[in-house]
Amino acid sequence: MNNAYLDGLASIAPEIVLTVTALGALVLDLVAKGRDSVRVGYLTLAGLAATAWFLFGQWGQPSHTAYGMVAIDQFGNFFKLFSTAALAIVVLFVMHDRRERRHGIGEYYFLLLGALIGIFFMVSTGNLLLMVLGFELLSLSSYSLSGFHKGNRKSAEASMKYVIFGGLSTGIMVYGISLLYGLTGTIDLAKMAGSANLVAQVSSNPIPFGIATVLVLAGFAYKISLAPFHFWTPDVYEGAPTPVTAFLAVASKAAGFGALLRFLGALFLDQGGTPLGEYGTRVGTMLALLAAVTMTLGNLAALRQPSLKRMLAYSSIAHAGYVMIGIACMTRGGFTAAMYYLAAYYFMNLGAFGFLVYFEGVTGSDTVDSLKGMGFKAPLISMVMVAFLVSLTGLPPTVGFYGKYLLFIEGVDNGLMWLVVVAALNSVVSLFYYLRVARALFLSKASDQEAAPAPVLTGFVTVLGVATVAFGLYVTPLQAWATKSLDLIRSATGS
Amino acid sequence: MQSQILTWITFLPLLGMAVILFLPKTAMTAVKGVSVVATFIAMVLATKLYFVDFAHKSVAEIEASRGAGDILGAQFVQKVDWISSIGVQYYIGVDGLSVALVWLTTVLLFIGVIASFGMEKAGKAYYALLLLLQVGIGGVFVSLDLFLFYVFWEVMLLPMYFLIGIWGGPRREYAAIKFFLYTLAGSVLMLVAIVALRLDSGTFSIPQLTELAVSGKLTGASLPAAGKLLGMQFSTWVFWFLFIGFAIKVPVFPFHTWLPDAHVEAPTPISVILAGILLKLGGYGMLRACFPIAPDAFRDSAFILGVLGVISIVYGAFVALGQSDFKKMVAYSSVSHMGYVLLGMAAFTVWGMEGAVLQMFNHGTSSAALFLIVGVIYDRAHHRDLNGFGGLSQLMPRYWALTTLGFFAALGLPGLAGFISEAMTLIGAFQADDTRFQVLVLISTLGIVFTAAFLLYAMQRVFLGKKNPKYEGIEEISFREVFCQVPFLALCIVFGILPYLLLDWMHPSVQNLLNILKIQG
Repeated sequence: MNNAYLDGLASIAPEIVLTVTALGALVLDLVAKGRDSVRVGYLTLAGLAATAWFLFGQWGQPSHTAYGMVAIDQFGNFFKLFSTAALAIVVLFVMHDRRERRHGIGEYYFLLLGALIGIFFMVSTGNLLLMVLGFELLSLSSYSLSGFHKGNRKSAEASMKYVIFGGLSTGIMVYGISLLYGLTGTIDLAKMAGSANLVAQVSSNPIPFGIATVLVLAGFAYKISLAPFHFWTPDVYEGAPTPVTAFLAVASKAAGFGALLRFLGALFLDQGGTPLGEYGTRVGTMLALLAAVTMTLGNLAALRQPSLKRMLAYSSIAHAGYVMIGIACMTRGGFTAAMYYLAAYYFMNLGAFGFLVYFEGVTGSDTVDSLKGMGFKAPLISMVMVAFLVSLTGLPPTVGFYGKYLLFIEGVDNGLMWLVVVAALNSVVSLFYYLRVARALFLSKASDQEAAPAPVLTGFVTVLGVATVAFGLYVTPLQAWATKSLDLIRSATGS
Repeated sequence: MQSQILTWITFLPLLGMAVILFLPKTAMTAVKGVSVVATFIAMVLATKLYFVDFAHKSVAEIEASRGAGDILGAQFVQKVDWISSIGVQYYIGVDGLSVALVWLTTVLLFIGVIASFGMEKAGKAYYALLLLLQVGIGGVFVSLDLFLFYVFWEVMLLPMYFLIGIWGGPRREYAAIKFFLYTLAGSVLMLVAIVALRLDSGTFSIPQLTELAVSGKLTGASLPAAGKLLGMQFSTWVFWFLFIGFAIKVPVFPFHTWLPDAHVEAPTPISVILAGILLKLGGYGMLRACFPIAPDAFRDSAFILGVLGVISIVYGAFVALGQSDFKKMVAYSSVSHMGYVLLGMAAFTVWGMEGAVLQMFNHGTSSAALFLIVGVIYDRAHHRDLNGFGGLSQLMPRYWALTTLGFFAALGLPGLAGFISEAMTLIGAFQADDTRFQVLVLISTLGIVFTAAFLLYAMQRVFLGKKNPKYEGIEEISFREVFCQVPFLALCIVFGILPYLLLDWMHPSVQNLLNILKIQG
């Protein structure tokens, strides 16, 4: 018993390190009386590095469960590593955001770390109760983060909208979980899938199970801003401080997808022929429809946005639609493609937000028009931005293209030909608004605005840009990683 | 030991681009020097490849290698695994269809670089993009792997977008984005088709796909719902998706509207490259990756393609007749001339298809010459209004002489290259098994009349008649401009008199392709 307890501690070492770092950040900020918050930023980065170290230590270890709830597996590891790296980049954004104060923002880092802890638990459990807890921890931190600029009306509005939408969706989701519990008598996904009661129920009258599934999916749909639960996204993304927007658009969204994959994977994956498996194909059809609506809505709305930040918000909705192609397939291949696309999305979207952080600092505005002619004044970061835009559109030779290719191939393979055609036409639409940025940067006449140098920011955004192209040319490692991570999705939840 | 010559030809410009990016912004002489050297070496290598190294296999020899995954009889093949998880290979090679176009690419880009020296605004970025463009174009012509083909196809778009968008005319932004959107709309459809082909066949290799297709094994049977889309058979929709992707590039009526805009706004060297080689990618793509992969669907829709070709011929020439902008006129003439390519291919005869490939090459040289001619006058007068000149023949006699030659090459005067290819496509179309093609040929002769009309009418307005006093002191064509013109005009003459210098190269491959397409699956 005692030993199991200690082993459990070792298993959740990354989470413990994160918690300690979060508390340390809070204490350091108190001790320094809010002066020079950059030090807190460095502490956060150190904590994240330590977390990553422990995560690498768990790499490739056999899957197991700690305390009967926390699944330590490659699947969770995939999302944890990505979120950790994403948060590190976001912290760097905060530290180099020229519009952000240098003092008195220690709690910024604390809240970010809190959100990350939420993500960690969310993606590494098959226990729906713990999943909801992680979900809520992430949400609560995100609410505060999006309202971080208290004096700013838009920021306050963003926070308010987020709270209301979030509260409602979580409520719906928890209600769905309670129905699932009623049907199966367990909140553990693995036991749920094996529940004889559930199988009997699904084969005789699937409607209660259907309602429960749809309700739970509503909660996830809110987190990944899938239509029709996307209405909060543009306002929150626009109002929140840009680094927070980057965090919400990348890490928080990927975590939502991680939890969703685990939920669907446990219930429906590899169940071909069984009543549950057949029901899964129906759920897949529903998700395919939502995917088509989501990507079309996101892209069409993005066309007319004067604000780059809002445009990226709508584009992130569209990208959620693309990822859903893979998920709607309800096969291992489809799920792998979805995970690969999330990894690709991480590089290109974080990079685009880094560019935005830089230019907001220079021009004080987030409109596309304010970028006019800046391409020749800050050539490196602008060129890198073009690489991100190309990748977001899904053109070779970038990671975004390969991600889209994998999604397409899985879609066609699983009879979602029509969805693939819709997605392909959607990328043409998306080109139009992505190119608006390139056009403003390089094709329009220059304004008088001078570009201030920001070597560090430019530096790591360039690294992301190089990765965007390099992983587009040399795709094997990322793909192998996504495949391997998915292999263990069920075995872990099975204990 | 695999031959690496094609890799060098394709990627030398990339090397040049890398060097340029590391040069300081002010060192323009060095930038230009590197561009010239890179494109020149590529041209020399390609010339040697074309005239010396390329082996003339007979049709029988090519057919003998069928069944061994080498249905095309490609040479200088290089095959390396690239993305092994999905079976993508770096698989390149040339056959009689592509070798001339590879050579033409390098010539055009070399001249394109030299023609750019007149542009004062062109900085380091311009030359870097130009070289990147060459990588994309050259890569498409040598790719024998469909995935690789698609990657090169898309690599080309971004440099073109910036080259038109930054260095173009007043409406450059509109023209650039229109070009990009049209091409992308076509190429995403292509991507969907490529994905479906890969899933059905398990390979990206174009020769293998061709073999599977002609043996009737590429039917979408291993896909869900037998690969049907909106009730269409697998091979039908795959054919149309690929065809539309390529047709937009050619451009075939009704997908041609991006071309006049792009041409009018693009700077002269870019227009030259656009008309000279970019449009050929469409025609080449059809022959390489569309017709042989869906031969049944091609046979079924050949007449529709022929009609589209004829509409392009007549409509393009007719609209050109009504233009007052010199460059727009030349742009519409491209639509017309590329129509012959489609008509010839659709005719499904040796003459037709060979004429089509020849026409692609010849249009490459003659349209390049025409756009250079427009560039010369635009640089001096800063407008292109055909009615705004007059009597230039007296002021610029040397320029007039070159223009006359270029115009005659374009209108298909016997003895010049265009005549032979146009005649071959028309004769080929007349011989087609489908007798309806004879009607098409009759209609398309209207295009010949219109073409002669608009070229001569333009000649008359610009060069003949009363001298316009405004241009009294206009400068005669410079040595650099003559140097750019001469190769193209020389090629027009040489291939007009000695067309076998092209035909002997392409004939076995065209015959082989035709034999392949005729196999009933």
